[in-house]
Amino acid sequence: MQTTARDVDSPGDIPHDAPHVAPAEAPAHRPTATRRGFLSRALAGAAVAVGGPAAAHAQGRRPRRSRAEAVAEELASGGFASVVAAPGEWASATTRLVRRATLGLRNADVAAAKAQGYQVWLQSQLDYQRIDTATLDAQVAALWPLLSQDVNTLFSQQQNVVRTSLQSAWIHRAVLSPRQLYERMVEFWTDHFNIEIAKVGYLKVVDDRDVIRKHALGKFPALLKASAKSPAMLAYLDQTVSRVGAPNQNYARELLELHTVGVDNGYTQDDVAELSRVLTGWTIQGRGNFVFNPALHDWGQKVVMGVTIPAGSPSLGAAGIAEGEQLVDMLAAHPNTARFIATKLLKWFITPEPSAGQVSAIASVFRVTGGDMKLVVRAVLNSGWVATAPAKFKRPFHLLVSALRGSNALVTNAAVINPQLVVLGQPLYVWETPDGYPDLLEYWAGNLMPRWQFASTVANLRSSSITVDSAPYLTGTPDAAIDLIDTNFFGGEMGLATRTVLLDYLKAGTFNDQRVRDVLSLAIASESYQWY
Amino acid sequence: MTDHIDPDDCGCSEYRELSRRQFVGEAAGISGAVAAAAVFPEWLPRIVLAESFAGERDVIVSIFQRGGADGLNLCVPFGDPGYYTGRTSLAIPGPDASAPANQKVTALDNFFGFAPAMTPLIPAFASGNLLVMHATGQSYVSRSHFDAQRFMEVGKPADVTLVTGWLGRHLSLVPPLRSDAPLRALGLANGLQKSLVGAPKTLPIANPANFSIGGAANTQAARQAVISADYAAASAPLNTSALDAINTIALLQAVDFNGYAPMNGAAYPNTSFGRALKSVATLIQADIGIEAAQVDIGGWDTHAAQGGVTGALSTLTDNFAASLAAFHADIVATNARVTVVVISEFGRNVRENGSQGTDHGRATTMFAMGQGIAGGRVLVNSWPGLAIENLEKSQDLKVTLDYRDVLAEIVQNRLGNTQIDQVFPGWNATFRGVTL
Repeated sequence: MQTTARDVDSPGDIPHDAPHVAPAEAPAHRPTATRRGFLSRALAGAAVAVGGPAAAHAQGRRPRRSRAEAVAEELASGGFASVVAAPGEWASATTRLVRRATLGLRNADVAAAKAQGYQVWLQSQLDYQRIDTATLDAQVAALWPLLSQDVNTLFSQQQNVVRTSLQSAWIHRAVLSPRQLYERMVEFWTDHFNIEIAKVGYLKVVDDRDVIRKHALGKFPALLKASAKSPAMLAYLDQTVSRVGAPNQNYARELLELHTVGVDNGYTQDDVAELSRVLTGWTIQGRGNFVFNPALHDWGQKVVMGVTIPAGSPSLGAAGIAEGEQLVDMLAAHPNTARFIATKLLKWFITPEPSAGQVSAIASVFRVTGGDMKLVVRAVLNSGWVATAPAKFKRPFHLLVSALRGSNALVTNAAVINPQLVVLGQPLYVWETPDGYPDLLEYWAGNLMPRWQFASTVANLRSSSITVDSAPYLTGTPDAAIDLIDTNFFGGEMGLATRTVLLDYLKAGTFNDQRVRDVLSLAIASESYQWY
Repeated sequence: MTDHIDPDDCGCSEYRELSRRQFVGEAAGISGAVAAAAVFPEWLPRIVLAESFAGERDVIVSIFQRGGADGLNLCVPFGDPGYYTGRTSLAIPGPDASAPANQKVTALDNFFGFAPAMTPLIPAFASGNLLVMHATGQSYVSRSHFDAQRFMEVGKPADVTLVTGWLGRHLSLVPPLRSDAPLRALGLANGLQKSLVGAPKTLPIANPANFSIGGAANTQAARQAVISADYAAASAPLNTSALDAINTIALLQAVDFNGYAPMNGAAYPNTSFGRALKSVATLIQADIGIEAAQVDIGGWDTHAAQGGVTGALSTLTDNFAASLAAFHADIVATNARVTVVVISEFGRNVRENGSQGTDHGRATTMFAMGQGIAGGRVLVNSWPGLAIENLEKSQDLKVTLDYRDVLAEIVQNRLGNTQIDQVFPGWNATFRGVTL
């Protein structure tokens, strides 16, 4: 693929099929990004191919550089462009939409989207509640019954059983659910509100159910408030040990830096300290229920980002929660939050380097709609941007799910494939730092070998819980088999180079089950299949 | 608790006598008389003959005892009466006890001694290559495995934003031992351990003897060729990353792991830890530019029925000690440029609990091994004592020797990296005489 560093859109553009909104006023452009973006080159589950000065990440200081600066640094040091143009074969805007809005092309989905048309299919994915998943829900409930238990029952479960159940159930849903765009948003928010399950155990089950999945395509303010009251989040970021006189700043800091306005974007370290005082008393009780404990609350006057919370009194008791709720609401509605979320969503769905115009446009939709994610995502996925978007590199979870979808695998229990994500480098719910798994080519590019191994594994799956059938590829000629791989895995837009390589390999041996499985593995391992 | 024993692995005793590098050539069907470099495919940059910094820096083997190893029952402070007060059922009798030699402490000095299960390491200790350190750990107080392991491996306590590991930062700060090596370091694990995060050209490889693209064996080479050509046409960074992976496959497949003959008749236990160390030994002997390996041994979280002279902890300790002893005889005793270091996230309570086990504590033991290590002794910064008034929170051995002092000294004096302030940010290391 060719690389390009150009912006995909010119500043000031409004998506033509987005809701009409006033152009954004222009707040000073601030770097928005993951604060550890600059680490990416040296990070890994992975060998990283590009060497270079290493001192940047070796500082012990809390990194405060923006991704834009990091990318610039990388380019200057002889690195590579992080915006990779989509292949010329990706001719259909609708197929491009299906690539971005699902966890992997599947022939049936591509066909449905083309039949319905871009806008209708997109709207049907956004209206996810109207997509029936009763059969799948029943299947998941039967396979992993503990996921619907309350905290008092979950508490007694073995931690590794809880973890693998939650992981396997997500893979199962991601492969089989017709609510694909919804699953993409579950993935987005799981990273945005990252929680490491080793630290919080079964509480993450509740967070996944009652915060992430409940609000994945809902209103951002409700999602943020649910997360702020999520026992898993409060335990993960040490809010549970924060109290008057000894406030712990961990949650307050990430609430600002990662969940709402973005790093150093309109607040100071004093604001972090003051917000941590406001949130004293937000904790959990029993086996894991949220509670505001007035005895732990700091009733003194606080000033956070210009908002004064007057001194209160312990006699107010439970009413003291209103202070924190006021701040959470303020942050959810803050214009910098709109820009921050808009930027992340653009990176998620469209391009690693959104233009200022794209950010402003989406931030406007976010503000005008009160953070209505259906409308915001609809605006992001407008056909003009999707049709011209650069390629994005699949993360391991995406690759794994897409391979199972593309191969039309018969999946009755996804648990058997879950350990593959450890080898691939993205076991679910175990990223430690609160920023979530990176979504950067340069982070994932170093660990290719497990992808090739995985391709061999999945192409040869013949277990009772997951089966990949080679028979459909063996009914005609080798050329027809390659056509079917094109249809199933590549949406009918397989590049000529990939086709030639696969066909040559297929014709070089006896046309039988093993040869076909070899070719399936090569298709999944191919460079072109790593992109979406 | 204990390692799974694989009955199919035939053990280590029957290998032919081979010269140090010969087995590399054998694997590729070439006479052992031919230099190892010649066996690699032509397209592989002449790895073995490339510029080498070997001789200036040690290869480091970093071992993590996961779960919180009970250092008090590995290296027993038999000279401290508090040990016997706290350990009513788990204590190991002192060297003067009237028990058989294999049921009591073997004294290392007049205060500390090895538990019976540690005695395979006596020869390494006696040779002066093995240093035992006690009352070590980290200043960061956490009784969570998750936090304690993480911050220890990251190398900076309580920094929730630092992601790279101490070994990863070290490797990123020094030039490769061999400039063309496709693989500089590896973690013997399915996912890369935190200590190695940030290291260039580093992969998690659970079993180096089986590093391949998988699938049908008879078409593996053909499929690999297809993948190689496919990614060669890709743009950066995928093309170079793929080349490293392909070269690493070729490199590891050229190494005859099964035919490896340990030196000095060393016998690695047939446990996952023993096999991992044997793989590391094979890679070191193959001389292919590996600079660091992270190896883990789990099962140290002995909350219940840990046993004393015998029992669960003893079995695990024997696996640990016998594996390390084999690595000593095979590699450390014969190669002046290898250093081993062993850490654990914390120790255990001095007082045993009601389940004949021990709960999460603070300080524990640490071990370093190498010809450049000032071994043959038990190093303590100052022994805090096990009397209850000397314990942290009345229950734990205090940390008087920060693990970063030990690692920093090794990094500077054995790994040739003076930028220890970047390997351990925010830590002003004091060298404790760990290295010669």
